[in-house]
Amino acid sequence: MKILIAGAGEIGFELSRVLSEEKHDVTVMDKDKDCLKRVTDNLDVLAVEGSATSPLTLVEAGVKNSDIMIAVTSVDEVNIIASMMAKRLGVKSVIARVRNNEFSQEDSPITPSELGIDVLIHPEMSAAREIHQLIKRASASDIVSLADGHIQLIGMRIEKNSTIVGKTLNDFANEFNDFSFRVVAISRRGSTIVPRGSNRIMALDQVFIMCKTENLKELITAAGHQDAEIHRIMIAGGTQVGHILARMLSKDQQKWEIKLIEPDPDLAESLANELRNVMVLNGNPTDPDLLAVEGIQEMDAFISVTDDEESNLISCLMAKHMEVRKTLSLVSKSQYIPLSQTIGLDAVVNVKAAASDEIHRQIRQGNLLSVKALQGINAEIIEVIAGNQCKVLDTPIHSMKLPEGMLIGGILNNGSSEIATGNTVIKKGDRVIIFATPQAITKVEDIFR
Amino acid sequence: MIESFKMGVRRPRIDIKLVAGILGGLIFFLGVALLLPMIIALIYDESSWSAFLITASASIIAGAALFFAFKPSEELRMREAFLIVTFTWFLGSLIGAFPFILSGTLELYTDAVFETMSGLSTTGATILGGETANGIQNPAIEDLDKSLLFWRSLSHWLGGMGIIVLTLALLPLLGIGGMELFQAEYSGSTSDKITPRIQETAKLLWGIYFGMTIIQAFLLWMHPSMDWFEAINHAFSTLATGGFSTQNASIEAFDSAYIDLVITVFMFLAGINFAMHFRLFSGKFDSFFKNSEIKFYSILTLVFITIVSLTLYITDNYSFGNALQYGSFQVVSILTSTGFGTDDYTLWSYFGSSLLFLLFFTGGCAGSTGGGIKMIRILIILKNIGREFKQILHPQAVLPIRVGERVIDQSILRTILGFFVTYLIIFGIGALGMSMLGYDFLSSAGASIASLGNIGPAWGVFGPVDNYAQVPIAGKWLLLILMLIGRLELFTVLVIFTPWFWKN
Repeated sequence: MKILIAGAGEIGFELSRVLSEEKHDVTVMDKDKDCLKRVTDNLDVLAVEGSATSPLTLVEAGVKNSDIMIAVTSVDEVNIIASMMAKRLGVKSVIARVRNNEFSQEDSPITPSELGIDVLIHPEMSAAREIHQLIKRASASDIVSLADGHIQLIGMRIEKNSTIVGKTLNDFANEFNDFSFRVVAISRRGSTIVPRGSNRIMALDQVFIMCKTENLKELITAAGHQDAEIHRIMIAGGTQVGHILARMLSKDQQKWEIKLIEPDPDLAESLANELRNVMVLNGNPTDPDLLAVEGIQEMDAFISVTDDEESNLISCLMAKHMEVRKTLSLVSKSQYIPLSQTIGLDAVVNVKAAASDEIHRQIRQGNLLSVKALQGINAEIIEVIAGNQCKVLDTPIHSMKLPEGMLIGGILNNGSSEIATGNTVIKKGDRVIIFATPQAITKVEDIFR
Repeated sequence: MIESFKMGVRRPRIDIKLVAGILGGLIFFLGVALLLPMIIALIYDESSWSAFLITASASIIAGAALFFAFKPSEELRMREAFLIVTFTWFLGSLIGAFPFILSGTLELYTDAVFETMSGLSTTGATILGGETANGIQNPAIEDLDKSLLFWRSLSHWLGGMGIIVLTLALLPLLGIGGMELFQAEYSGSTSDKITPRIQETAKLLWGIYFGMTIIQAFLLWMHPSMDWFEAINHAFSTLATGGFSTQNASIEAFDSAYIDLVITVFMFLAGINFAMHFRLFSGKFDSFFKNSEIKFYSILTLVFITIVSLTLYITDNYSFGNALQYGSFQVVSILTSTGFGTDDYTLWSYFGSSLLFLLFFTGGCAGSTGGGIKMIRILIILKNIGREFKQILHPQAVLPIRVGERVIDQSILRTILGFFVTYLIIFGIGALGMSMLGYDFLSSAGASIASLGNIGPAWGVFGPVDNYAQVPIAGKWLLLILMLIGRLELFTVLVIFTPWFWKN
């Protein structure tokens, strides 16, 4: 597919990387030379220098023959204008990042389609939503809702004192055979293992397990975690993500006790005025005195979402040191993600990855329903409908010959979900949830077509 | 206006001609209003008609002369607005006092001005029925001509009308005492010119004021012990939260639970922002019942009615029905700054009367005809106190004060706190002044707050069954100035006496 990306910033770079690795024909445009240089130095993409609001540059970048244009510059207005022009110039589909979500409201005087935008993405919103999910499940580092919410994929860290340490997956499954679950991946010291029954679980492993939504609590207990409720939450940073998150939390029915720390006095005031049930503190999130006065020891969760990644990590470390049960950090440098697990952060959320997930969902067509990348693990979750030419219809899973790095996690058949076991059989029209490494992803469509 | 620019005329900092012209117009209308009691005098065949005719025609002629001499056409500015508002009430009292003198009812001009100011400021304190310091016996209320009784009630009603427009249309534009806070509650013209806005607002709100007066008068007239004259008088007095009655014994004279109930309900309604009544009548029930000030006002009223009634029932040996009837009437009467009485609260047990003393400081909602500090200010002050405590425990927290969904701006909060402190200082000065004239602490403090809060009856020798006749002339002027200051939200009057008002 021919893809044109406007904006070579953090998100633009991440998208170019992912999409070019998937063998798409990517062109990146940006008016900043340095940003472009970083793209061309590292990635196999075509770069065009110039503003995304210039029709000439757009044509030069090949907008007329492109299938998709993705506008992800840092300015809403530029993205909107670029989208309008690209649509007029004949691009088939336009995805734009617009942070101002007034356009997607129902009473908006102008709809995104009138602006030439087919899909609006809001990565900060997605990141906030992800954090929101993670807070609700205190012991999870990742949580992905699959098959219309019937199946959950949960990522958990196995603590040293957990009873399942040292057991093989077969033993683990036999021990808790009153409900079905499937371990789909293990991340150990930065490398990803797609496990078989004989693999052993080790302390400090990050395991990814799929189960039915109703069994989630039992599963968490089985893995040696107490899924204790979270009440007191401290958010460091009134950034976009922090703001949206605080707003989501304050609209929850649940009785949270939320504190938000923002160093900028004006921003702090406007947040305090808007967020009724949130106590906004004006101060530095890494200031130990402030954290002590505001009772960080009593917090159940500490979420650091400032723009400064390093200080996010540091303040989360401080929180961890104060024995806050759950620490969550916004990290976008991929190099930091394995590190965050080593130093004991409970979860990291990545705005760039959130954006690339959103865009992937739009790009992958055909039978593929959704795709979700997991943090710190080199694999993705794919939902696909088994089509007419599916090569594995009516065959039990244990006798399928699936390629290396691909695993079937669950099936949704006419609204009833099932966690895959060796005897599970796929029928035509079933929704199949697949766990696959990048090498295997390209084969998925081939097999299930 | 363009012409005056052409002629190169520069307006002085305070355009006295404009002030005089507009005041002329207002005096003209006062003269027209004075014709109404004259009609009453003619109906009842009373000799006082001539007193009203003389005052009315003099006002009409003088007012028209002033108005046409200066033909006010310039845009009203802030300083002129302050002068006009203050002088409207002050001149109105000076002029409205004449019928009392000309008809031979009162001998002292001071007494007549006191009575009229008490009327126009919707206070309801009277000098009738007592002996003055100079040994003059003022007539009892029942002995007055019906025309003069009507004039007393009418002065309340006109004062109430004036105050609604003042608080909802003019003061918000002048930024007095945090009044801009209530501006948003009313959605009328968005014109930023003062005059068209006031006119439009006035028409709507007076319609409601007028309608509610008619309804109450009708409900009162339904009771056999009230004729149409008394019904109208009491309706005027209630809607303006004034307190003048046609009876010396106030509402107690009728001794009817029905009348007590009607008046209690209408006093309560008169204590609500008339802009909110407008919303209610235009079908916006939600914004009426969700209004924080109305909620606070209702809860405060209910809490005080409950505690006071229980106190009367338990410690004062009232029957349960009487406790509720008298308790609720007195509470609402004082809370809304009306000052009607059906019971002498100075004779209640200490706890009951102390509770009532607290209510002398509250007043109704902003934009109502009630006086006092006003509910919204008290609500915000209480919330601010709560915030101070929270701030001690969370030194770095940003804690906005919210009223409903609205965040109160720091500058408004500062104005309101300033208002509160100034209110207490003036109350203190008034109380000191009265004690200099030889009154005991409770009477002095009571008279001061009852005048400043536009309530009327006070404590000690000025209780609900007493009157202000005995106060020396200096004291009467002190109290009537307090009424004026309190009625016009303090700063409107006080700002005129600051040097900055006259300098650039």
